[in-house]
Amino acid sequence: MLAIEKDTHQPAPDDLAPIRRVLDEHRAALEGLASRVDRLAQTAAEDRLSLVVFSGDLDRQLAAFVMATGAAASGMHVSMFFTFWGTTALRRRARVKKDLWGRMFGSLLPRGASQLPLSQLNLGGIGPAMMRHLMRRKGVCSLEELIATAAELDVNINVCTMSMDLMGLERDELIEYPNLGYCGAASFVDIAARSRTTLFV
Amino acid sequence: MTTVDARGKSCPLPIVLLAKAVRTVDVGETVTIRADDRAFPPDLEAWCQRTGNQLVSLDRSAAGHFDAVVRRS
Repeated sequence: MLAIEKDTHQPAPDDLAPIRRVLDEHRAALEGLASRVDRLAQTAAEDRLSLVVFSGDLDRQLAAFVMATGAAASGMHVSMFFTFWGTTALRRRARVKKDLWGRMFGSLLPRGASQLPLSQLNLGGIGPAMMRHLMRRKGVCSLEELIATAAELDVNINVCTMSMDLMGLERDELIEYPNLGYCGAASFVDIAARSRTTLFV
Repeated sequence: MTTVDARGKSCPLPIVLLAKAVRTVDVGETVTIRADDRAFPPDLEAWCQRTGNQLVSLDRSAAGHFDAVVRRS
C-alpha cells in the first residue's frame, strides 16, 4: 500500500509571486481568446445560400429559383437579392402613380414572371411561349410555381431599393410574398459574408 | 405510410416534394417516393446526407422509375 505523505511545506509569500504572474498572463491570454472566438462566431459562415438575381431573363430566373428551392428543401437557409432587371420578375399588374421616367421604364419592362424574355432564342417573344409549353409537357415547374414553392419553403427575398428607385418601381407593384424585404448593399454584404455559398445570376 | 409520386416531374420537384413529405411524418417513420428524373438517385443521396435523414433503399423498377424509402431521423 502506498503511504501518502502530507505536504507540510508552506510556501513563503515571495514564492507565490512568480506563480501569480504566470496565472495573470494566462488569464489575459484566455480573455483575449474568448473575445476573438466571439467575434469569429458572429462572422462565421452559416449553412446559407445567397443568390444575387440580376438578370430578368426567364431562363436565368428559372435557374435561380430551382437552386433556391432545391437548397431550401435540403434544409439550407436561402436569401435571394433582386437587383436591376431581376426585379421585373417580382412585378405584378397594378395601377400605381409614377413620374414620366417611371412610366417609361414601367411600360418597356416586363410586368412579372409571365412576361420575361429568354436570354437566347427569344425570337420576339415566341421563344418564351415555346419554352413554357415545353416545360409544361416535360414536368418542369413554371417560374410562378417555383416562386410559390420558394415562399412555402421560407426562401427569403430582398429587393434592392436602389434598382427600384432607378427604374421607378413602386412597392405596390411587387407580388405578394411572405417577408419580402427591401435592402441595400450593406445588408447583402453582411448576409453574403455569412453564407457558405453566394451565386450571381 | 406516406407515399409521394413524383413521376413525370423534374428537378427540383422530387426533392421538394420529398422534403415536404418527410416533414409531415414522425421521427423514425418512413416516406416512400417514386420518381423518374435521372438526377433523382444522386440528388436523393446528397439530400439524405445533408439533412441527416436515412436512405433505407433505392431501387430501379423494371418500368424505369426509381423507388426510394427514406426514414426521418
